[in-house]
Amino acid sequence: MTFKYRTMIPLAVALSVALVGCKKEADVIKLGQAVALTGDNSIWGTPEKNALEMEIAKINEKGGVLGKKITLTAYDTRGDATEGVNVAKRLISDGVCAIIGPGQSGVSIAMSSVTEAAKVPFIATTATNPKVTVDDKTGQVRKYAFRTCFIDPFQGTVAAQFAAKDLKLKTAAVIYDVGSDYSSFLGKYFTAEFEKQGGKLVGNEAFRSGELDFRAILGKIKGSKPDILFIPTQQKEASLIIKQSADLGMKPVFMGGDGWASPDLIPLAGPAVEGAYFVNIASLEDPDIQSFVKDYKAKFGVDPVMPNPIMAIDALYAIIDAIQKTNGTDSAKIAAQLELTKDLPVLSGKLSIDPATHNPLNKPAVIQQVKDGKIVFKMKYVTQ
Amino acid sequence: MFTQTLLTGLAIGGIYALMAVGYSLVFSILNFSNFAYGSIIMLGAYIGYYAMVRMGMPIGLAIAVSIVGSGLLCWLNERLAYAPLRKRKASSLFFMISAMGTSIFLENLVYATIGARFYNFPELFAKSNLEFRGISIGVLDVFAMVFSFVAIYGLNLFLQKSRTGIAIRAASYDIEVCSLNGVNIAALIGLVFGLAGALAGISGMFLGMKYIVYPTMGWITNKAYIAAVIGGLGSLPGAVVGGVLLGVLETFVSAYVSSVVRDVFSFSLLVLLLMVMPTGLFGRFLEEKV
Repeated sequence: MTFKYRTMIPLAVALSVALVGCKKEADVIKLGQAVALTGDNSIWGTPEKNALEMEIAKINEKGGVLGKKITLTAYDTRGDATEGVNVAKRLISDGVCAIIGPGQSGVSIAMSSVTEAAKVPFIATTATNPKVTVDDKTGQVRKYAFRTCFIDPFQGTVAAQFAAKDLKLKTAAVIYDVGSDYSSFLGKYFTAEFEKQGGKLVGNEAFRSGELDFRAILGKIKGSKPDILFIPTQQKEASLIIKQSADLGMKPVFMGGDGWASPDLIPLAGPAVEGAYFVNIASLEDPDIQSFVKDYKAKFGVDPVMPNPIMAIDALYAIIDAIQKTNGTDSAKIAAQLELTKDLPVLSGKLSIDPATHNPLNKPAVIQQVKDGKIVFKMKYVTQ
Repeated sequence: MFTQTLLTGLAIGGIYALMAVGYSLVFSILNFSNFAYGSIIMLGAYIGYYAMVRMGMPIGLAIAVSIVGSGLLCWLNERLAYAPLRKRKASSLFFMISAMGTSIFLENLVYATIGARFYNFPELFAKSNLEFRGISIGVLDVFAMVFSFVAIYGLNLFLQKSRTGIAIRAASYDIEVCSLNGVNIAALIGLVFGLAGALAGISGMFLGMKYIVYPTMGWITNKAYIAAVIGGLGSLPGAVVGGVLLGVLETFVSAYVSSVVRDVFSFSLLVLLLMVMPTGLFGRFLEEKV
């Protein structure tokens, strides 16, 4: 008997904590963070946590939200799906009203099994897989899963609008890796948007992963003289394609996605890459975030690692907005309100959430350009 | 487009040919496919890269260093991995297994010591391509083709005219009889591997300059191996013809059909050809065919 009582007491305590949730301590608003603080992903996770703590301290100094201070409980997911589930359970039993993070798609998908049941929303920071917010088995949106980053293929849409509207280019060719979802979907989104903008697709060539020589397909594309060559690949393939285009005497405008964002790009591709553009999620040189970058550097002594801190702070503002609008910390109400987020000013620009997919709508992207042998910030781009 | 495709195909075929000659050279003597050859080519590229970029040597000297370095490595490969098997008169199957092991070992050694990073050679020529009536070719490709042709021609001359060359050719017909006639077989085999290694050095340099230097770059030798089989394993002219043929055919398939089915095409061609001409275009032996 005594044994049974002993096990039941902590159980009852845990249960009461879980049931009471946010409301237990009325004077603070408890937010949780699921973040990779150790392991390979900690390079992005640590700045994500630092940035959130810094921003929350600022908000608390100004009086907090609804007259209450915000507290942040951060647990380490190690970037691991199983650990992510544990972290979600712990945060929920700690009574947080919303979770910021994680940054990995795999962890996010695993975590949603817990958060959906507990009706606690989380906002993933850099999880770009469409399955994070939409259950691919049922095709239904996950009610408590959100994100502040755009999904990968959206970069194709950004690139196409930038090419057609800003560079005023008329014809395009796409070379994509048939073995990569990232590459083929970016290519598809680019083509669809470019044609919608009145452009013409004059070449669409696939290659197999691991290819080194692209001159055969480039020779074919050369005949149709495209204004733009869109190459949605990693920097290795992109640089080989750019180099070999030069060998064939082609001089289109080269464009790509964030797979290009590696310091390798320029030495590998050689002088032909000069002037090329690529879409990225965030950039340190973005004028809108300069005061954040300055504060971060002053506090931690290093530049924040992009783009996680920006995405985490965007998520923080989305949650605060939902808390203010629902005038409380009820998790389910916050989730319902998050869905309605529209044109909310956040760190990266304006945030709107698509109720059908829980992906951000027309989220600002960054266009970067290779100029004088360096990757520079060209502009912030908001799709229409 | 036709002429452009043909020219590109010749440039790619030229590199295949150079590597195929290295394969065939070893096969002609020892009757086994040296699958470690791709890794020697990869190491050749790294040697060339270090000589040229890290030590600042001019291109000619860097090529020479790469040739000597790869030659030594290939020779060492034979001494350490194959010579003991040869002494025990192991069947060629064991040579091949040993070769695969060596290849995986070397690749992983590079991963563990140098890492998986991509390296690239600096631009050699101020102008990267030559253009004539809308058809263009990389200056480096022309340079590589001429250099490869000279190397293969030089090798051929050596095999046809010199005493050692005659000994090598004799050994490729019958190694036992050749030995009975007073030829030092161990030294001869060492020399053949050294020569194959030298070609690997040239291939590695050009592959590195044309593409990127990285640990699994040696996989491209699969194609050279097919080229050697198409030409007839063990036949040097066959290797050259097979290499150029494969390069041109692949380029045409990529350009006129699709780059995705290119390998389906080249490997089907290999199977078909072996069904019709089991010895390849210029081959002599049948029983040792892999």
